[in-house]
Amino acid sequence: MWRGRLVLSVLAVAFLTLLGRAVYLQGIHGDFLQEQGGKRYERTITLPASRGKVLDRQGVVLAASIPARAIWAIPEDANEAKIEQIQALAKLLDTTEKDIRALLENEDKSFVYLRRQVPLEVAKKISALGMPGVHQLPETLRFYPEGEVTAHIVGFNDLDDKGQEGIEFAYDSRLSGQPGSRRVIKDRLGRVIEDVREVNVPVNGADLTLSIDTRIQYQTYKALEEAVALNKAKSGAAVVVDVKTGEILALANFPTFDPNDRQTMRGPGMRNSALADTFEPGSILKPFTVGLALELQRITLDTKFNTGNGRFNYQGATINDVTKNGVIDARGVIMRSSNIGMTLISEKLQAKEMWGRFTELGFGQPPQIDYPGTTAGRLRPWEKWRLIEKATMAYGYGISTSLLQVARAYTAFAREGDMVNLTMIKRDNSPASVRIYPPAIANEVRSMLEGAAGPEGAKLAQVSGYRVAGKSGTARKIVNGAYSTKFYRGSFVGFAPVSDPRIVVAVSINEPSAGHYYGGRVAAPVYASIVGSALRVLGVQPDAPFESTVVAQTGGAQR
Amino acid sequence: MGRTNLVLALILMLSALSLVTARYQARQLFMQNEQFKSQARELDIDWRRLQIERAEWSRNARVDQLAREELKMVPIVPERTIYIRGNMP
Repeated sequence: MWRGRLVLSVLAVAFLTLLGRAVYLQGIHGDFLQEQGGKRYERTITLPASRGKVLDRQGVVLAASIPARAIWAIPEDANEAKIEQIQALAKLLDTTEKDIRALLENEDKSFVYLRRQVPLEVAKKISALGMPGVHQLPETLRFYPEGEVTAHIVGFNDLDDKGQEGIEFAYDSRLSGQPGSRRVIKDRLGRVIEDVREVNVPVNGADLTLSIDTRIQYQTYKALEEAVALNKAKSGAAVVVDVKTGEILALANFPTFDPNDRQTMRGPGMRNSALADTFEPGSILKPFTVGLALELQRITLDTKFNTGNGRFNYQGATINDVTKNGVIDARGVIMRSSNIGMTLISEKLQAKEMWGRFTELGFGQPPQIDYPGTTAGRLRPWEKWRLIEKATMAYGYGISTSLLQVARAYTAFAREGDMVNLTMIKRDNSPASVRIYPPAIANEVRSMLEGAAGPEGAKLAQVSGYRVAGKSGTARKIVNGAYSTKFYRGSFVGFAPVSDPRIVVAVSINEPSAGHYYGGRVAAPVYASIVGSALRVLGVQPDAPFESTVVAQTGGAQR
Repeated sequence: MGRTNLVLALILMLSALSLVTARYQARQLFMQNEQFKSQARELDIDWRRLQIERAEWSRNARVDQLAREELKMVPIVPERTIYIRGNMP
């Protein structure tokens, strides 16, 4: 009898032990164990978001991300690779065996990048080598199809695809998306078999459409490149603005860099001088002063100015004209670009009035444009102007602006006195603008500017088939605090066609050294070339008579 | 009584087996879905790559050079253009 009981009680004790263990594991310790288990088969996968594309106004891709691989190595393992393997790797990465060896030298490290942002095709070949200790990580590579032509506008990213310059920097948050994640169960072979939680969907970056027209941009860049080479200039910049919408159609600088090649990203080529550099504009500012004097009725179109023999003593300084102009009216002052004439006009204006107008035109103010590195330029407070300074200010010395600011100010003459706000992003609504001059005054200045770009002015600015208006400027550069007689900046700003302006074009050639330096000589041809090709691209009908060398076939079949 | 239990046990067994199969099938389908998704991703990447390739071939600098050098074309000028006046605004 007792045997039966013994067996029963032993079994009961065993059973109770099991029960206790079960309660301990599933009840008391359950959460911890589940968590530990989960860690062993659940994985969190980050879902990368792709960065938005940058497009031009026609939808041409200016920047896009493509998948790439980062090649990394564990030095200790990689050094066991055969020599041929390392040589082959060096060849694929376009470097030398020695450089690879140098990277793998420190065996204490457990992670060394051999090369980042390697294109997929190359990465495939590298993995085919089967080198020990060499691994790959997925990442993206930003590619800029137009290369150096749009380099300054679009900018570039760092190795981690964060915007560093230009549009890439200014609109970084909009372009870069929000990466997502998902929690999954993986099986023995690493395949995903189940979602544990709801998937956190990645949000891809938005595409950005710029106001740039790549065709005009290319022509602008090309014309600038040729002019800089021809004049042996240090640099050059050009801006094309759509008069109707204030959109920047092209913005080019030379020298430049190739955003696809980090080796070229250094030195003066990196500078977006069209909006980051200021200079004394010189004569291209004259029309604004003349317009102001006309508006305030201090002068009329018939007022005569005696500019004498081209030398004029004023407030202890000598003001020179390039040519002897004698007695001329306001139109003549603009056409001949007479500094003496401008000095006489400035005598009829108060410093405060001139300062007010320049400020309205945006000089000395940071431009209202969403772009990094823009500069305000310098316009000193009017209280501190001396008389001689007021005179030089009237013809563009003693004040500094960027090329972009001058281009914007010129839209006032192209839009009948109404100055438009600029943008680098394609507009889908009408632009904001401010009225600067009454239409009648603006049109008078416009006609003077047409004269200044005419046969008696900067002839080289003329474009076959179109009426152009504009003003050349030659400014001596300040070297060590004094005006240099060796370093100049030749500029030309204007608009076309005069009958119904479509574009404002501003060109500036910095330190030309091939003999000529006058704006009308070095910058005007660039202006003409850009205007000709841009108006053709925009499909603007000619408004000037020209001799046609082709004749339309008449009497053909009517359709 | 005994017979009912037997039937119920059998049904329970069948249900358990079908659960296992259903789970298995679900995982298979899930995996297939994953495969298609990754295929879609790859195609998307391909599409992007091709877009860029197209942009590279139609680069202004390249077109300009080919037009000038290989096709011996010249820029158009108003003198050699016939303008047709339409009723466009």
